[in-house]
Amino acid sequence: MLIYLPIAEVSLNLFVLLALGLGVGFLSGLFGVGGGFLMTPILMFMGVPPAVAVSTQINQIVASSMSGAIAHFRRRSLDVKMGLILIIGGAFGSVAGVQIFALVQATGQIELVIALCYVGFLGVIGALMLVESVGAIVRRSRASAPPRPRRRKRTFIDTLPFKTRFAVSGLYMSVIPPLALGFLVGVLAALMGVGGGFVAVPAMIYLLRMPTNVVIGTSLFQILFVTALTTVLHAAQNQTVDIVLAAILIVGGVVGAQIGARYGQKVRAEELRAGLALIVVAVCLKLAWDLAAEPSDLYVLIEVRGP
Amino acid sequence: MMRAAVLTLALIAAALTAGPSHALQDAEPAAPAPEAQIAAALTEDVVEIRSNFAGAELVLYGAAVGLEPGDDIAVVVRGPVRDIRVMRRQRVLGVWVNADPVRFEEVAGYYAVASTRPLAEFATFSALRRNRIGMEHVRLSSPETERIETRFGVAGVVVSDIGAAIVDYRSAVVRNKARDALYVEAPGGVEVLEGGLFRARVVLPPATPTGIYDADVYLFREGVPIAVRRTSLEVVKAGAERVIYDIAHERPLAYGLLAVLLAVIAGWLASVVMRRN
Repeated sequence: MLIYLPIAEVSLNLFVLLALGLGVGFLSGLFGVGGGFLMTPILMFMGVPPAVAVSTQINQIVASSMSGAIAHFRRRSLDVKMGLILIIGGAFGSVAGVQIFALVQATGQIELVIALCYVGFLGVIGALMLVESVGAIVRRSRASAPPRPRRRKRTFIDTLPFKTRFAVSGLYMSVIPPLALGFLVGVLAALMGVGGGFVAVPAMIYLLRMPTNVVIGTSLFQILFVTALTTVLHAAQNQTVDIVLAAILIVGGVVGAQIGARYGQKVRAEELRAGLALIVVAVCLKLAWDLAAEPSDLYVLIEVRGP
Repeated sequence: MMRAAVLTLALIAAALTAGPSHALQDAEPAAPAPEAQIAAALTEDVVEIRSNFAGAELVLYGAAVGLEPGDDIAVVVRGPVRDIRVMRRQRVLGVWVNADPVRFEEVAGYYAVASTRPLAEFATFSALRRNRIGMEHVRLSSPETERIETRFGVAGVVVSDIGAAIVDYRSAVVRNKARDALYVEAPGGVEVLEGGLFRARVVLPPATPTGIYDADVYLFREGVPIAVRRTSLEVVKAGAERVIYDIAHERPLAYGLLAVLLAVIAGWLASVVMRRN
């Protein structure tokens, strides 16, 4: 059954969209990721204009991070102070990202920039995850103890000014690194239609050295606010949020995430991470192939927006 | 069938009582009494895009008074115009990059030609070019790349700054639009019934743009159009689709806040349901 999407101005199959929302929701529940990095490219493959795909997917992430953030809030497994600083950085990043998006769109290169961002980020993160998780599986099969954490050395981050205490995370550090991280995540959200958890979570663990138990909750807390702001900005500036498409994706995503979360408890963490890494690398390779392969038509038509 | 018969009768009456159809700019010197007249109407003059829109099919009915054997009819439907930019992909460092943009102004978003026979068999090249009939004659102007010069003693020659490459750009526009069924040519798409009655199917694909469409019916004799009749139709978003589109464009901030609110409520509901289970 075809459904006409009023903002995307295309007719797509309702059941395919629901199934996609369900499938990506399942993966996001299984792996604990937002799924934006899968859904945004898929929407573009299906013919949704890139600007609409990005801003609508961001709207969907508001819903998925909301339910996640509430759960972590109840368990008190989030660092509100750290989250607020990340949000401040994220707000600036989101504003900058939406401006960059509009500028790049005016030059006709938006699809290229989105694809390059995806290939770059997914390639690096997928490869790192794959190495790490395969390493963990190998170590487990050899039944050896994980390598002992080395003694913490004084890093560049420790030399920065404006230090403050983060009681929940048990850290005393400068506000500059979280502000910068928040900014980066905000830009990614506006530009790529992703929550940015796949960048924020490793950065919080390895760079900010936050305790793992508060990282996911804090990341979701930040994602909720940054994606909400990005949705409003995209809607206000580019009128590209398709509320009908978002609603379909949210319904599929919420149900899929439930199933995925339940299924995820039966699978071991290392295998899960390896599986996620494989998906990330596959999406990256697909996008890289599309960039490099000879297009079927050498010419593209770009509608000049506005009056 | 009954409705069609009534419609055609009404059309004949209209053709007989209506004044002369409006003159063609390039028609032959106006004769005191027109040789032929056309009346035409569409089965629908408003096409509504609702949530289940998957394209639409209309029929253009008409009557040509004074139709003689050997005359031909061409129907051209032109959709609302928009400016488009065409870019050519180039390989840079192994990656295909959009480059060399050419801006075409006021390009029809939809263009369909139906005729009784292939156009070239009954119409002269210049008549087709002047009236913009046929996919090779779609109006594609790119003022930014054009200059008007005097060449070989001929004034007013349009010269393209990018030379012969403009031809590739033009054909790329037509090819891309044809791929989405937005540009179509149907030789034999006009069916002449008895008594000067004719009909043509107009197929609007799912990607149909919204706006005013003009359907022009041309009666060709000896290579040139001797009568023309214009009728219009409008493609509009309707129902919820319309409301959503209007709010998104007229109250963008409120729309964005609403979108966020809906997502927040959905996420909150999901967490409530999750807890109960």
